[in-house]
Amino acid sequence: MGFQEKSAWVMLATLVLTAALYFYNVLSLSTADGLAPPLLPVLLVYTVILVVIAVVGHIAAALMSPKEANAAPDEREKQIADRAESQAGRVMGFLIMLSLAVYLFSYSGHLLFYGVFASLIIGQVAEYLLQIVYFRTASL
Amino acid sequence: MAKKLPIGNRVRELREAHGAMTQSELGDAVGVTRQTVAAIEQRRYSPTLETAFRIAQVFAVPLEEVFYWQG
Repeated sequence: MGFQEKSAWVMLATLVLTAALYFYNVLSLSTADGLAPPLLPVLLVYTVILVVIAVVGHIAAALMSPKEANAAPDEREKQIADRAESQAGRVMGFLIMLSLAVYLFSYSGHLLFYGVFASLIIGQVAEYLLQIVYFRTASL
Repeated sequence: MAKKLPIGNRVRELREAHGAMTQSELGDAVGVTRQTVAAIEQRRYSPTLETAFRIAQVFAVPLEEVFYWQG
């Protein structure tokens, strides 16, 4: 497994784990009356945890193959990253449109925030997932 | 199983004929990763023209002796 694929695995695991923690926190703060408002401290903690896990994960991946970690992505890896980014962008765009449509029916700003935030996370998860699939199976 | 691309190659054969050169060594010589060399050999990736020329140069053979149309 090349370093770029290891990096994609690290980011995928980090995003899924931190998003699960974030939305679990949001749900536990919410009541039957409605969703908890987006809180800056919660977002800051989420961001710090995300960055720390991603950095530690990348250091671990780099220690396993230091030579590859220092090399720039090669032509195939760039092509895979471009293709995954393009397709994940469509997923994210669709989900953001969906969040906007939901807002038009609910007029809930909180729901709009969480919808857009989730769209960004799912878009990134899709990007890393597609990269892994292409690294393993694709014919380019 | 990924579909095979139409451009065939003799990269593996040429590597073996050149003192059992490893995929990593060839990758280092042409500026790609070992995984990309493996993908080229398995016809899952068609290299750019520049990389194709570099590979041919490493083996000191014309391009068409390394890559050919297989359909």
